[in-house]
Amino acid sequence: MSTTMTPVKARRSTTEKEQETPAWKKRLTSDNAARVAALLSFFLFWVLMSALFERVPGPIEVVQRLVEEFQRGEVFGNFGMTLYRFGVGVALATVVGIAVGVIMGLSQLGRAFFESPVLVGLSIPAIIWSFLTVMWFGFGDLSPIITTFLTSVPFVIVNVAQGVRGVSRDLRDMSTTYNVPFSRRVRDLVLPAVTGYVAAGVRFAIIIGWNGVLLAEWFGGGGGVGYRARWWYDANRFGGFAAWVVLFVGFIVLLDRFVLDRVIQRAFRWRDASA
Amino acid sequence: MAVLTIKNLAKTFNVGTPKASRVLDDISFDVRGGTFVSIVGPSGCGKSTLLNIISGVEEHTSGDISLTSDSGGPARMGYVFQDPRLLPWRSVMKNMMYVQNDRSEETVARARKYLDMVGLAKNADFFPGQLSGGMQQRVGIARAFAVEPDLLLMDEPFSHLDAITARGLRAQLQDIWAQSKKTVVFVTHDVVEAVELSDRIIVLQPGGRIYEDITIDLPRPRRQTDPTVATLQAEVLGRLEAMKTLSRTAAA
Repeated sequence: MSTTMTPVKARRSTTEKEQETPAWKKRLTSDNAARVAALLSFFLFWVLMSALFERVPGPIEVVQRLVEEFQRGEVFGNFGMTLYRFGVGVALATVVGIAVGVIMGLSQLGRAFFESPVLVGLSIPAIIWSFLTVMWFGFGDLSPIITTFLTSVPFVIVNVAQGVRGVSRDLRDMSTTYNVPFSRRVRDLVLPAVTGYVAAGVRFAIIIGWNGVLLAEWFGGGGGVGYRARWWYDANRFGGFAAWVVLFVGFIVLLDRFVLDRVIQRAFRWRDASA
Repeated sequence: MAVLTIKNLAKTFNVGTPKASRVLDDISFDVRGGTFVSIVGPSGCGKSTLLNIISGVEEHTSGDISLTSDSGGPARMGYVFQDPRLLPWRSVMKNMMYVQNDRSEETVARARKYLDMVGLAKNADFFPGQLSGGMQQRVGIARAFAVEPDLLLMDEPFSHLDAITARGLRAQLQDIWAQSKKTVVFVTHDVVEAVELSDRIIVLQPGGRIYEDITIDLPRPRRQTDPTVATLQAEVLGRLEAMKTLSRTAAA
């Protein structure tokens, strides 16, 4: 009796698969292609909406208004003003947020003390803080700075506290056994362990904080991106309003992609090290 | 002089609750300076808990522990864990320095000396993730010796390694110990390993009581293949088997 052997096809290695995939297919299925596709989709949606609705300014009108603002010399002064207020507010939120988050993560007493204020802070929206700070501090730099700080600091605290609570028990026990001083434990064990949580907290601070700064400028006047956006809004010219929003959102996106992303990659370079 | 003295030590988990369980009961022994003492026993007899109590990570329920130091100051301890417990985001050298009291040149030189003794001087700037499991454990051993401890605790440091790496590290440990003559309390479930390394073996039985205290009077360096070592290993194994039988009978 004879048997028929079905030939078994040898399985290909990942290297072979990689070599067989054409370059155009690799490019089309890359992460960068997905990002470009998302941007293009958003842009097409914007064009479509502006074509359908008269009160939605299209990209060309927005660019025209932005050029006008540049020509009037309004951009650098106002943008710089907002950036200063935003930067100081986020920096303060980061420093205070890390300190309070570490205390909440390490100490039961600290957690009990800060838990309620942080919860209240999380539940108050940026618009309420902007009203309050304008009432308290008037039309200067202080209202937008404090609004940015107050809206973003609870998010940094919550993220950092969560990270500190997650620090490896084994490494903490090792530090206890060797009597490692508290300051060194915070610097060499706790802070590096919570870097990811700090980064997530700062990201939140930036995303939430810019709402705060723009709203405080919107209501408090005294110059800045929020002030100029309101100026165009009051003039019933939505192209100018949108131009300022696009400018600031664009800046936040670039800041996130080219600064924060790289800082995070550098902080986690030890993860890329493998045997 | 005794570096470590333990008297009537007991440990009960979940005291005052229905889940209360006594893991160590009436433990008393002392460890003289410069000796290598192993604690052996079956899983769950409280070996690691005892080590954690000595190190201060765990609190004891009753009894006394005292540690003395040659310097007159507080006793310094080193601890080699089952896993290396290195900070993954710090280089090997920074891990060595993390547990040191000071950053003097002398301390740095000592850290380098012990790294060199475990054959990792060239890897001082590597991150732990760039080393194999065995190499990471060698860093853990070098770190523990480099603090110049009055008492060095080791909790089954070779149990996660393959047999060949473990054998190499045991030989290395014997060499370093012979040079430094530190006082060591070594926890293991491996009797063969205990006989090879120790001056004395304390056998814990289920329920956390001391069953036997055995003196190992054999010349060093020892290797598992030495006939005298093998004979003693067989004898100690026999005693442990007898203990297990006795425990099973008592339980029945």
